Amino acid sequence: MSAGYLEATARQRVARFFDAGSVHEWLGPSARVTSPHLAALGMPAAFDDGVATGRATLAGRPVYFAAQEPEFMGGAVGEVHGAKLTGVLLRAARDRPDGVVLLLDTGGVRLHEANAGLVAIAEIQRAVFEARLAGVPVVAVCAGSNGCYGGIGIVARGCDRIVMTEEGRLSVSGPEVIEAHRGVEEFDARDRALVWRTMGGKHRYLLGEADALVEDRFEALREAVVPYLGHARPLDLDSVRAEHEALGRRLARFGEAPDSLDIWSALGVADPARVPMLEPGPFVEMAAPLRERADA
Amino acid sequence: MDRIWNRGERDRAARMARARAAGLGRIVEASRIGELLAAVLVPGDRICIEGNNQKHADFLAASLAKLDPAVIHDLHVVQSNLALPAHLDLFERGIAKRLDFCYSGDQGVRMARLVKEGRIEIGAIHTYLELYSRYFVDLTPRVAFVAAHSADREGNLYTGPNTEDTPAVVEGTAFKSGIVVAQVNELVDRVPRVDVPADWVSFVVKAPKPHYIEPIFTRDPANITEIQVLMAMMVVKGIYAPYEVARLNHGIGFDTAAIELILPTYAESLGLKGRICRYMTVNPCPTLIPAIESGWVEGIHCAGSELGMEAYTAARPDVFFNGPDGSMRSNRVFCQLAGHYADLFIGSTLQVDPEGNSSTATANRIAGFGGAPNFGSDSRGRRHVSKPWLMAGREAARPGGGTMPRGRKLVVQMVETYREKMQPTFVEKLDAWKLMDEFGLDLPPVMVYGDDVTHLVTEEGIAHLHRCATVAEREQAVRGVAGYTPVGLARDRAAVEGLRDRGIVQRPADLGIDPRLATRDLLAARSIKDLVRWSGGLYDPPKRFRNW
Repeated sequence: MSAGYLEATARQRVARFFDAGSVHEWLGPSARVTSPHLAALGMPAAFDDGVATGRATLAGRPVYFAAQEPEFMGGAVGEVHGAKLTGVLLRAARDRPDGVVLLLDTGGVRLHEANAGLVAIAEIQRAVFEARLAGVPVVAVCAGSNGCYGGIGIVARGCDRIVMTEEGRLSVSGPEVIEAHRGVEEFDARDRALVWRTMGGKHRYLLGEADALVEDRFEALREAVVPYLGHARPLDLDSVRAEHEALGRRLARFGEAPDSLDIWSALGVADPARVPMLEPGPFVEMAAPLRERADA
Repeated sequence: MDRIWNRGERDRAARMARARAAGLGRIVEASRIGELLAAVLVPGDRICIEGNNQKHADFLAASLAKLDPAVIHDLHVVQSNLALPAHLDLFERGIAKRLDFCYSGDQGVRMARLVKEGRIEIGAIHTYLELYSRYFVDLTPRVAFVAAHSADREGNLYTGPNTEDTPAVVEGTAFKSGIVVAQVNELVDRVPRVDVPADWVSFVVKAPKPHYIEPIFTRDPANITEIQVLMAMMVVKGIYAPYEVARLNHGIGFDTAAIELILPTYAESLGLKGRICRYMTVNPCPTLIPAIESGWVEGIHCAGSELGMEAYTAARPDVFFNGPDGSMRSNRVFCQLAGHYADLFIGSTLQVDPEGNSSTATANRIAGFGGAPNFGSDSRGRRHVSKPWLMAGREAARPGGGTMPRGRKLVVQMVETYREKMQPTFVEKLDAWKLMDEFGLDLPPVMVYGDDVTHLVTEEGIAHLHRCATVAEREQAVRGVAGYTPVGLARDRAAVEGLRDRGIVQRPADLGIDPRLATRDLLAARSIKDLVRWSGGLYDPPKRFRNW
């Protein structure tokens, strides 16, 4: 087992993120609820379909959780996997724990399950709103090695809060997809510095999409999530309108910017080229007063 | 009749006169490269297009490939690396015919096709030292095309950290009345240091784009597996510690990167600091940074450089070989020699047979050798002694008998029993035999011979091959660490247990190593960014290796 969150498996993450001994899993591997689609294609299945779900406590407070397994099909969402995520959220809407923590690590929908996976994303999205309407805060942690892409990238932005590390990525289309559709001139997927400054945690924090940016350590991630428990953000017409206005302002302000570096510069970052090398502490200190806040 | 003793000089003078007649001076515009080539080349010339492990005279190679084969043909190419498509275009288009080289890497499949089609006649496949040596014997280039970082108006060249093969190529050519054409990234008033003096250089061309350099020695610690950590622990505790290996050459794979990254952690906990890994002959691999920073590695001589390591090496002149200008100078010849006379070589390979022979040759592909055969062989001309050399010499079985005490170089091959795509590393017969038949070679292309290998390390354990008294015993030692491959399953269990009792086969447990403790937490750096942190921000990794 390795020290950081980035390299850990889903169950290592669950064991070390939540209070020791508090984890109780629902539909764990021994239940063997596996993907019917992968079986039909003769592909290897996972006994948990690549996601661990259950309840635990965090700093003594009851929470429900889901943790995507990075090593199984890149954390991709299939029918069973998606249903487990939906189930956790709907159960939270019913039972009202102090929060739902989603440890997301995924490239999006599992292509092998096509429509079933897409339907699952829609159900998860709706379940997030059910939980939020019931007053349960949903916190997404995007700090895994696969990033948080595709439909789950959209789901994450529908949550109350997003916590990231600089290694984490959050977007809808992944780098390779953009390059394949728009050409290498539009986006060079092998230029990893470009990938991270476009989709990585620091950029998401500067754009006001990530609420917290911390080091790749369990303790740091826990400390970032705990204050959000029990504090759901409003989900009503006013809040949606405010979000739309903020996005409109953002588009007007940065829509023509060719690169994240230009956005950072426009935000007032003194030396944008140095941002990638800044450690999370000094970065947040520098960025917190400058960053775009969609909800401001 | 007086014999003529300067035919070469007269020939050079004639070629230079043709260039002058075309109005070309020492500094040639890139747009006139075709005229220059036409002036200085004649059919049948022996040429070298500097193609190193990293640095390539790519503009000159592309320009040569555009020549008219009706005018220039039957060239004989003598160069270490054929890495660029243009190098093979020369043969495909009928400009060049004969080839003497060392390594072809990514072009190996296409080269194999061109050989089969009769477009390439291969003279020989060499190791680096062999080919450089032959520049001074029977393969001296008539015209050499080299790459440098910058030149001044006189033609003095600065080759910088990636000096690599340039000195060998230029010296062989310039001192045998040959012509040296250099492509440079920039023309400057004053070069930072003179790596090649102007009077050895005939022509300088500023290339439209800086020469191509490949970052081939960067290993991202994020991709090191726990099996590699386990093998690294075995090497440190089972080989480096008992022999006290202070002077060595590391290969450039993830296996050896894992060793470098557990020096400040695991090796430190064994109290080995100052006793092992003090002097290395290796490229400036970024994974060495933690060991350098924590005082393990005191000196490194480099065959080439590595992209992103320029500022770091410049800031550590006590460790690297830097010029008065402050930047590092690599030199592949000297590094190969230094590694040949070091106490230990360790590297990886693709296939190992039951005799311990290893090869990276695969079917339908002519990849060549590079430097491993020289590093990975007992240096029988060595006379100075050291503890590991004497100890290995004492231990070594002497199947041929004899009473004269001898020393012995440690040659370690480090492999997992299965490589990617579940291909077994251990095979009953190397693919090199097939390649020999297919291309009519005189010998199978073997990288390291079994009788040169002292230690074979896998995740199953260490086989001390030099202590095996017979070929049969060596075979069981190889099979004994070959795990669940067919070669491993065919072992004689009793014989292997017998070897284990004698310490010739050692399992991790025999070394006091608990495989459960072999975790990535032992790596002093687990990501490229960790390496940047260790370097105090001096290491500037290429963009493709970043995740921030």
